Amino acid sequence: MIDFSITDEQELMLENLREFVARECPEEKIKKWYNQRYIDEDVRKAYLDAGFGYMFVPEEYGGVSSDAVTLALVVTELIKSAKATMPFMSYGLAMFDMSEFASPELMAVAMKYYEETGEQAYSLALSEPCAGSDNQGMTTTAHWNGDGTVTLNGTKTMVSLAETAPFMLVIAKDEDPARENKNMSMWIIDPKQEGVTLAPLHKIGQQITNFSEVYLDNVVIPETALLGERGKGFLQLMKNFELERIMLASHSLGLAKAALEEAAAYAGQRMAFGKTLGSFQLIQQKLTDMEIAVQTMESLLLKTAWEFDQGMSVRLDSALAKRYISMQSTWVCSEALQIMGGIGYTTESCVGRLWIDARGSQFGGGTDEIMVHIAGRQIIKKYARN
Amino acid sequence: MNIVTVAKIVCDDQDIQIASDRTLDYSKARPTVSTYDLNAIEAGSLVAAEKGATHIVVSAGTPSIDDTKNNKNILARGVDSLTLIMNDDYADLDAKATAEALAPTVKDLAADVVICGDGSADIYAQQVDVQLAEALGLPVVTAVSKISFEGSALVAERILEAEKEVVEIALPAVVSVVPDIALPRICGMRDIMQAGKKPVTKIDGATVVRGAEVMETLAPEPAPRKKMLFDAGTDGDIDKFVAAVAEAIR
Repeated sequence: MIDFSITDEQELMLENLREFVARECPEEKIKKWYNQRYIDEDVRKAYLDAGFGYMFVPEEYGGVSSDAVTLALVVTELIKSAKATMPFMSYGLAMFDMSEFASPELMAVAMKYYEETGEQAYSLALSEPCAGSDNQGMTTTAHWNGDGTVTLNGTKTMVSLAETAPFMLVIAKDEDPARENKNMSMWIIDPKQEGVTLAPLHKIGQQITNFSEVYLDNVVIPETALLGERGKGFLQLMKNFELERIMLASHSLGLAKAALEEAAAYAGQRMAFGKTLGSFQLIQQKLTDMEIAVQTMESLLLKTAWEFDQGMSVRLDSALAKRYISMQSTWVCSEALQIMGGIGYTTESCVGRLWIDARGSQFGGGTDEIMVHIAGRQIIKKYARN
Repeated sequence: MNIVTVAKIVCDDQDIQIASDRTLDYSKARPTVSTYDLNAIEAGSLVAAEKGATHIVVSAGTPSIDDTKNNKNILARGVDSLTLIMNDDYADLDAKATAEALAPTVKDLAADVVICGDGSADIYAQQVDVQLAEALGLPVVTAVSKISFEGSALVAERILEAEKEVVEIALPAVVSVVPDIALPRICGMRDIMQAGKKPVTKIDGATVVRGAEVMETLAPEPAPRKKMLFDAGTDGDIDKFVAAVAEAIR
């Protein structure tokens, strides 16, 4: 029996999270962070010190054990309260991923950095100019030199946090860039080392997370920089994609909730033609459909997170949630913008930011179309007649 | 050393409904720590951490104050244990009766320092501190904005209207603190998870003598809006605004 009643502990976490956002993330700071492409260190540290940043981290590395439902509630509330994209959840998720394939020694180094700065310990260089959703089209290669070193060559793009993270994980094909070569390995490198060049990419939304192109030009690294198993780098990464989709859907839901709250409050106050905007049925209909969308999104998200916690397969539902909630979030934010009219289209209101950030989530972590690719095959299997 | 912080648990005012006859409906309001008492609890936890002392929070009220979430909220704030003194007749106690309800337990806890908040969120009488000190036979210092220790004595800074006064007081003693003494913490995840494992002692409160009975509690009469608009950019409008405010509160 699914039970979404909130525990005392979850309620207290959410209350304290709201208080954290109210104290540490006022609108003027959020605007500054979007402009500078990162969150100030004191606030990152405060988030970590309050313990929220430890939620994804395994207990053996000092983390706090959390279930997916709690994580979904926290991420949604964080985004809703801040009325902005807050990339903290990606920091903890990165540590969770790393704990799956890094040695205890490397994990200790990464945790030390994370605890000192509150910053994500590494960026992930996966996508390439001609290999986004089609990762098999990747042409970056790792060549074993036979002297204990490996040389990386290629171009990566859309690398989040490359400017600020001290390490970079690079996925590269073993030796041969050919499409048929499915052997990809994962490497950890120092983005400041010789042969690595960063070029900033400027997004139209979610600018709070910096974004870069990365050029790897004869980057020589030791063979010991290999993470996990040789040739299995992408498979290692895929292991946590389902949890990542749940978290990305939580992010989108938080944006939609913030937009709905802003628009409904505005409709209740703004006077037009001698009465409040909310008195007009056209506006009421928009708000009604937005509320239906938000409640439906939340139900699907929590159901998927609950299934994950029960150890049930969420290959289908995590893809459905990622696709549906990303798309619906953009629609809800767009309707909020419509209700707020001209003021919503200015930077005086946060709704424009919510809308453009929500749109970005239809790409990140797998496009809407890739979610169909994942879900469609599962649906055929689910309803197959023997 | 034992630090005892006395806190009032009130209905969350955001959930109190006002009926058309101006009576207040508390049925949907969950219990919460009185706002300024959160600052007092924080001050108690900081002092306890500095001195390696035990920090106990004590509250008195009707059985409705025993709320698991609120208990955890208190215990997640650097507090070692919580004691609730409960009696069905403890609704709407005046300050003297509240002090009488608290005193035996606070005495049993052998408190070296008893900390009270600035005033309660509901009636803000600012009297429990002095009444409790009287009931315990202890010295009291009020309006404290900073606590430190000099040997076995407590040194309290008091912010007065035009000066800062520093008072040294022998222990045990009662101090009431202003909200500025400490900002309530953001409760850490681990603190929240561990709060449920900390002890909550529940005591049947003795009957107390009330000095006053609450006859009626009503919301203020709603005042019609004045609908007066002033434009700060217009010469003389700020003076007109000030005059209008002065007239309205006269």
